[in-house]
Amino acid sequence: MGITAYGYAMSATTIHDLTGPQATATRRPARTQPPSTPRSSSAARRQVAREVALRVGAVVALVAIWWAVSAWGKPDPTLRPSPLLVWHTFLDLANPAGAGYNGLTLWGHLATSLRRIGIGASAGVGAGLVLGLLMGTIRPIGIVLAPLLNFVRALPPLAYFSLVVVWFGIDEKPKLMLLAIAALPPVAIVTADAVSSAPKALVEAARSLGAGRLGTIRDVVIPSALPQVLVGVRLSVAIAYSSVVAAETVNGLPGIGGMVRDAQNYNNTAVVLVGIFAIGFSGLLIDGAIALATRRTSRWRSLT
Amino acid sequence: MSPAAESSSTQPAIAVTAVRRSFGRGATAVPALGPIDLTIAKGEFAVIVGASGCGKSTLLRLIAGFDTASEGTVLLAGEAPVPGRHSGIVFQQPRLLPWRTVGGNIDLALSYAGVPQRDWPATRDALLERVGLVGLATRHTWELSGGQQQRVAIARALAVPAPVLLLDEPFAALDALTREVLQEDLRAVSAESGRTAVLVTHSVDEAVFLGSRIVVLSARPGQIVLDLPVDLPRTGVEPAEIRASSEFARIRGELAVELRRSAATPGAA
Repeated sequence: MGITAYGYAMSATTIHDLTGPQATATRRPARTQPPSTPRSSSAARRQVAREVALRVGAVVALVAIWWAVSAWGKPDPTLRPSPLLVWHTFLDLANPAGAGYNGLTLWGHLATSLRRIGIGASAGVGAGLVLGLLMGTIRPIGIVLAPLLNFVRALPPLAYFSLVVVWFGIDEKPKLMLLAIAALPPVAIVTADAVSSAPKALVEAARSLGAGRLGTIRDVVIPSALPQVLVGVRLSVAIAYSSVVAAETVNGLPGIGGMVRDAQNYNNTAVVLVGIFAIGFSGLLIDGAIALATRRTSRWRSLT
Repeated sequence: MSPAAESSSTQPAIAVTAVRRSFGRGATAVPALGPIDLTIAKGEFAVIVGASGCGKSTLLRLIAGFDTASEGTVLLAGEAPVPGRHSGIVFQQPRLLPWRTVGGNIDLALSYAGVPQRDWPATRDALLERVGLVGLATRHTWELSGGQQQRVAIARALAVPAPVLLLDEPFAALDALTREVLQEDLRAVSAESGRTAVLVTHSVDEAVFLGSRIVVLSARPGQIVLDLPVDLPRTGVEPAEIRASSEFARIRGELAVELRRSAATPGAA
């Protein structure tokens, strides 16, 4: 007895649109809906304003303490350069028409280092992504490589810097290698973990639609892992960033890390501080940009 | 044409032969299912009912090809089943990909099916219309209600160009009202598509309303204790009429008694 035996096709209009109380009850709050009433949103704004004020106040207090310490007793620009001295040093170094440091402005040094970080970290992150994907999808590879990567991750970059110099000399190569080696393990480990923990229910769903092994990886494993992978990328870039001074230990000029090292040799603490601030602030900017990208791609995660 | 394709017209859509499935190994192995022999002809809407834990979902997973039998064979159109090739599947949860839109979820099935990309929009819209979701293709899955999401899952499974549709308690997670509406829609859609269907449920009402044939499984290890044809009209009748008919009530009563008895009796080892 087949169901086609009746030869009468019901039209699609018998399918009712389902907009009962249930439909609205289980729907999550849409983006278009204001999350709260006007009164509470102004309260939220006041809360934000209070937080901003608190932070600005803390920075002002910190600079005041710094100024007080530097003004204590006999001025000592090597041990305790004043905020004003550091500010003026910054203006000098940042002035495009000025002498800069070692013949290059602060921006020149920063750009050189950023370029190194860009190339080194990209290579490290790229290799880390591929390794992580392989480790997460092919078990033996993961079993062999995971301890090795954790070992490398535990090393401070300065520990393998000597080896890198012995192997690659003192030009650009060792610097890029060091940054790449520093950036590789975190993203690889996180990616391997994210890939191997892809939701089985969704993998099965894709298979039920006819996905092969590659299709499953492309359409389920990678998209589901992406938010976590981007967290790994963020971690890797941060580590590459914090390794830039180590990478520019030898023959680091031009370069912001090299500038810090070199100025330290001449007891020029103000330049050291300008360099530290430059690294710190540019690092914050880049981290913020990656964090923003992460939020964009993982919106579905918080809503499902 | 291969011999297999030639004989496919005479082959049953699904042939389960002497199948057993046990979990674990050796002395600690727990038999979950079988032995089962079940042949489902093309175009049948078979409903498998049984108490929780009787192995009915296990049986469906074997038919889908997600699992392999410990003993015996499962053949769909004469071949070992491959998910997505021999059958489309609707799970208890919608299992939509949350990073894709509603339309994107259906496109995925179309891409695996080898439908040329220029035909996707029309095909997708037709499928969505079939399950009553006109104009929702660009929505995110999380913007839909549970019932709507399950409709998308059904549309997605229908996009799979396989002759068999498998449904594993597809409405169990929905409220009573939504469930009834979706049952009616599924009945219409399956009659329209003419696909062979196997639905697993523990609801007597659902079984009688949807099935052209009802198979009752005993308690674990699940064995067939009743194989009941349902002679309610499949098309051209209002769902309410079917539910109110005396035939519906008769089968429903018979099934309820049998189900209660079978739930208490495990299959013979």
